[in-house]
Amino acid sequence: MAEHNKHTDHAEAHFREKHLMLDPLPRGQMNEMVMESMHTTSWKFWVVFAGLSVVVAYGLFYSWGVMIAEGLGVAGVNRPSYWGIFLVNTVFWIGISHAGTFISAILRVFKAEFRRPFTRAAELMTTFGLIQAGFSILMHMGRVWLSYWLMPYPNQRMLWPNLHSPLTWDLLAITTYLLSSTMYLFLPLIPDVAMARDRSSGWRKTFYKILALGFRGTEGEWTHLRNAMNIFAFAIIPVMFSVHTIVSWDFAAATRPGWNSTIFGPYFVVGALHSGMGAVVMVLVVVRGTMKNMKYFIRPEHFEAIGRLMLIISMTWAYFFFNDYMVQWYGGDKWTKQLLHFHEAGPMGWMWFVMLIFNVAIPWAVLWNARWRATPWIVFSVGLLINVGMWFERYIIIPVSLSINRMPFTWRLYQPGIEIPLGIGTLAFFILLYMTASKLIPLIPVWEVQEGQMAHELKKFGRETVVTVSELE
Amino acid sequence: MVTLADLKISEVKLSEEHVGKWGMVIDQDICTGCQACVAACAMENNIPFVGEEDSGYGRSMHWIRIERFWEGEYPEVKMTPNQPMLCQQCGSAPCEPVCPAFATVHSQAEKLNLQVYNRCIGTRYCANNCPYQVRSFNWRDYERPEPLPNQLNPDVTVRRRGIMEKCTFCIQRILNAQDKAKAEGREIMDGEFTTACAQACPANAITFGRMDDPESLVSQLAKRSHGVKHLEELGTLPNVTYFKGG
Amino acid sequence: MSKNFSRRDFLKLAGVGAATTAVLTGCGPASRYVKREPYMQMPEYNYNGQSTYYATTCRECAAGCGLVVRTSQGRAIKTEGNPNNPLNLGKTCARGQATLHGLYNPDRVTDSLKRDSRGSESMQVMDWESAIQVVADALKNNKPEEIAFLMGMAPDHLFDLASDFAKATGINAPVRFGALSMFESRATLSKAAKNLFGEASLPFFDVGGAQVVFSFGANFLETWLSPVSYMRGFAGLRDGQTKKRGSLVQFESRMSATGGKADEWIPLRPGSEALVALAIGRLVSELRDGPMPRAFSSVDPLEAASKSGIKLETLEHLAGMFANSSGALAIPGGAALGQSNGLAVAESVLALNAMSDNFGKPGGVYFSALAPNQTEYQGPASAKEMRELVQKMYDGKIKVLFVHGVNPLFELPTSLEFGGASKYVSQIISFATFPDETAREADFVFPDHHGLESWGYQRVATGSAKPVLSGAQPVVSPYYNTRATADVLITAAQLAGGKFAQALPFKDEVEFLQSKVTSLMSEADGSISAPDILTFMAYFQQHGGYWKLSDARGIPNAADVLNRSFSAQEAEFAGEGEFFFVPFVSPTLAEAGANKPWLQELPDPTTTVMWNTWVEMNPVTAHELGIENDDVVKIVSEAGELEAAVYVYPAIRPDTIAIPFGQGHTAFGRYAEKRGVNPVDLLGQHFNEAGDLAFAGMKVKVEKTGKKKPLSRLESLMGVYGIGLGEE
Repeated sequence: MAEHNKHTDHAEAHFREKHLMLDPLPRGQMNEMVMESMHTTSWKFWVVFAGLSVVVAYGLFYSWGVMIAEGLGVAGVNRPSYWGIFLVNTVFWIGISHAGTFISAILRVFKAEFRRPFTRAAELMTTFGLIQAGFSILMHMGRVWLSYWLMPYPNQRMLWPNLHSPLTWDLLAITTYLLSSTMYLFLPLIPDVAMARDRSSGWRKTFYKILALGFRGTEGEWTHLRNAMNIFAFAIIPVMFSVHTIVSWDFAAATRPGWNSTIFGPYFVVGALHSGMGAVVMVLVVVRGTMKNMKYFIRPEHFEAIGRLMLIISMTWAYFFFNDYMVQWYGGDKWTKQLLHFHEAGPMGWMWFVMLIFNVAIPWAVLWNARWRATPWIVFSVGLLINVGMWFERYIIIPVSLSINRMPFTWRLYQPGIEIPLGIGTLAFFILLYMTASKLIPLIPVWEVQEGQMAHELKKFGRETVVTVSELE
Repeated sequence: MVTLADLKISEVKLSEEHVGKWGMVIDQDICTGCQACVAACAMENNIPFVGEEDSGYGRSMHWIRIERFWEGEYPEVKMTPNQPMLCQQCGSAPCEPVCPAFATVHSQAEKLNLQVYNRCIGTRYCANNCPYQVRSFNWRDYERPEPLPNQLNPDVTVRRRGIMEKCTFCIQRILNAQDKAKAEGREIMDGEFTTACAQACPANAITFGRMDDPESLVSQLAKRSHGVKHLEELGTLPNVTYFKGG
Repeated sequence: MSKNFSRRDFLKLAGVGAATTAVLTGCGPASRYVKREPYMQMPEYNYNGQSTYYATTCRECAAGCGLVVRTSQGRAIKTEGNPNNPLNLGKTCARGQATLHGLYNPDRVTDSLKRDSRGSESMQVMDWESAIQVVADALKNNKPEEIAFLMGMAPDHLFDLASDFAKATGINAPVRFGALSMFESRATLSKAAKNLFGEASLPFFDVGGAQVVFSFGANFLETWLSPVSYMRGFAGLRDGQTKKRGSLVQFESRMSATGGKADEWIPLRPGSEALVALAIGRLVSELRDGPMPRAFSSVDPLEAASKSGIKLETLEHLAGMFANSSGALAIPGGAALGQSNGLAVAESVLALNAMSDNFGKPGGVYFSALAPNQTEYQGPASAKEMRELVQKMYDGKIKVLFVHGVNPLFELPTSLEFGGASKYVSQIISFATFPDETAREADFVFPDHHGLESWGYQRVATGSAKPVLSGAQPVVSPYYNTRATADVLITAAQLAGGKFAQALPFKDEVEFLQSKVTSLMSEADGSISAPDILTFMAYFQQHGGYWKLSDARGIPNAADVLNRSFSAQEAEFAGEGEFFFVPFVSPTLAEAGANKPWLQELPDPTTTVMWNTWVEMNPVTAHELGIENDDVVKIVSEAGELEAAVYVYPAIRPDTIAIPFGQGHTAFGRYAEKRGVNPVDLLGQHFNEAGDLAFAGMKVKVEKTGKKKPLSRLESLMGVYGIGLGEE
């Protein structure tokens, strides 16, 4: 690296340090760095891995088994809060899964160059988050062993799912999203897996060989791959928007005060992006801090860019929150008014204020500063708080709003029970999947980075060093 | 172009289509809140008891509950008229469209709101969407130690954990009476049978019968001017009419 | 199985199979008990899918409501009211509905038992022959005056059997008692009737025919006397279609479920009921401008207002209501009579009816019709008479005590020390169906059948205009190895021989029943008649009893009422505390409902609390004491103390606290045991002039404990009281 930098002047050095795209490394070296990051596993990794496995075994599988055997009585759901943390977690994980596609597909479509090193990390979040969402919604069902009845499968009684029910839409939307996002994750992975195949031996070689589908990097293969990726990038965006809109319809289509709100669709989408971006930033900080060679790929410029996005999303979210509140308040329905008052002043009022502070006040106060938002631990903290705030938002929308209805005789608060280990279990399972993936597939899309670096060039015009980007394709 | 008048006509049509077959009138002025209906309902319909902890946490399984509120403060305090709250057997029920598995459906023959126990997968969406909050969920397999199961009504399914249930207007009695009437080649007579709650009520505050028969006692009562239907403004077309007070 | 399995092989195998089956069923032990009958003649209770209905009588309380029990395949499925029974006309209360949870209760006494020592859980199962021998020996080996029967308010046929037996053999006449009658103050009512009208009978108040009802503490919509019939009366009062809707005014310090239905609820100071009734009488008479009757002449309405805490304007307004109504009715009952001046309260409230001149008129006061085979009103023992029994036990005058249908260790105030006295009784034999507190302290438990497995009858003491004798028959065969107490007594008497055998010359209980109803066969105006006793009995069981077809209520002779003078003395309260204490009977549990799980799960009509005991306290008082809902407080009276969670109750006087009676069992099965507290622990030995317990005549102290016990309530604290909504 030193030799490479020998003849550069000061400005150029500055550009290279700052921007990954302008700091090219030889392809072989970069490939080796990524391979090394997968192969290097410290004992700490295994300690955390073992710890999380225990949490997953107890929190997710054992507790779920108990709940299946005993019934939902071990959870905290009651009349009138028939839905509790399970649904909160479902919405939360679907929200998390949004940022992956948003970063990957939207930024790809708009050719935002800073996306290149972390599209994979984000896409993994989508798939793994959706798995947790699926777990959460299955847990929520009273008779989970009959959940296949939601599938439109041919049967002799001609019983089909009820297409009037938002839950059926939900199922279709989430399944579509899971399948398409998994495919969308897989397509850009192929060249990298092929790269890994060529650089590994033993079981890994077999593993990558299967995944790489015989990719050799010929011009024809690249053309097909690019086309497929482009189609998917465009196609998955409406799916992404539809999923969370449909999730919001679970609530908006119901005849309940506080839920029956027309703005819920976009409000939920923005909320999903809000928490999703926070989660991406957290993942990137952790990946950068714990995995080898990652400081080269993930740089403050990326945090700076994501931080800016987070700020914009936070403002959008605040607008939709205000809009939702306004419309509901202005509607003047007596029960809705009661509910809005209950949100702020009821026993869970603290949660409402914490939500606003975490989702709006703190991001606005911190992220406007370019240096702060480029500092990993600061954006990590903001991302964490946004996720807590967004989880609270869903908690307020589901169990807290359910406590108030049109029959005051039945109003009752919700106190979570076995939902807590189960929720922690899904979180641990998410991290566990991520950790496993980080050791099995290249977290950095090497070819994308290389492609970007090929397109970027530093040119000198007189005394000025200028960045030029050549049009790809 | 659809005009306002068209909309009004369709609204009328809608409510005419949804005139229930069976209906109930509850006189809150004479309801003493004695809970006989609650006990009778539990005995007739094999409703499990849930114990102190669960019942205190909003998990009691009563299909009918008696609500009362307070007005004023001591010494000018009054108890509001007891309000037995049960499934209103809505003509246009909010619980029905939201079930993904068609477990809560409208019976075309009886125009009742049915819960198909063996089709229910327990999403509890129907209960969230019920504005009357009259659906109860089997949070656990509630224990009935031997020999208590001897008392179970063979005409009513015993429900297991994880499914939703609610008042059926004692559909087993409706069907029994219909079978009998059919076998005798006649229509069901008004007052030939009644629901368990109406049968037990010592004050006779509950009247049950054919809504679509203008001569029946219940439809005569329902026409009285002081009858109200709960949350009618939601368009649920409930089939239970309440007389609020004297 | 090989491919070559031929048809012949199959037949051979099938033959062996059939033979084996035949051997097993034909010669097995079961065959001895199976009587083979053609399939066409199944017993009526055994048709597949068909229910059989039997008429019988509810035994959950002593009112005697007729039931029709639906049975299927020999199991009792559902109780419904007997529509023909004039008392309840097809209706039941919650307790009647839940009686099946008694029949199939998992904690019944299944066999006759000998306890190793009193109070211990270790016991031996006895066969019925030796059990009956024990009873026979007890009869034979003791002097008749050392033998006593303590019986419940139901069933009447067993009481008749014991009475006849006692009369013929010189045994102590059976004593009847029940917590319900204690809280109803029945003795006070009949004593007041005797004092006023010269006849010790149970008054009947025709609520249904009245226009204005003033109820002084009578909780007639809950447990008082005959709640099902009074609820029907209440519906009649409220009927606004065929007549003007009548109104109800309730005078009580704690709003009962009855008070909750009242148009006006008057929270007077406990003990001032007589004064208020007389003051209203005076004001009514002033409004009418007639001569002032002697009865009300000495009372000063202003003094009454100040002593009772009711504004004078309110009294005048109430008097106006009473005076201007064409059918005013005043009812004394409940806690108002359970005070030191209870008799005076009963008399002055009954006297108030004279201002409405409603005696023997629709909407007025009658004497309850006597049951068909009854010649005079027989009241249960008052608490004072129970104390006399306890005293006799203490003095060792009673060697053998038979207990049936009552649970004195739970129902009697602890201060009466039935438990202590029972130690001086050498043999206690309980006939309890359930393992209640008294059965635990008994030497022997010879369980009676459950009411639905029993023969018998119950006289309708009040509530029906027509004389009714409700008949009981077994609707299912006994589930356990229990035996009818009447049969046990009859057989034991035969075994004991001599005068005992002569006193009960019957083959069994049914023959005794026949002897008791034979006289009705030929009576005119009866609901059924038959030429011979067997047919008559068959009708009697089929119809669920026998009743007269015409009104037989008595008309009180009230000629002299207004010329008497009444004591307006206020009640005296025992104890030091600052709170009046009102124990009231839980409308859903009453004295013996706590072991039925569905009764436990019924919300209380006023508080909606399930499964536990609560202490009602006015919100202002609670605020002053720094007490919130679910805070456990200690209630101390001169007789005892207990701890229970507070229910902040908006409709109770600030100087009063109330506790429901029904929980606090130390035995009685899994659903009742160790649940809540029993307010009789707080009651001292104070009686009114009629001998009824002055249960509402205590003052108590309230102490905070710092503990919390969340009450299980159906209602929402947020929705009903606004607690936790962020609005306080």
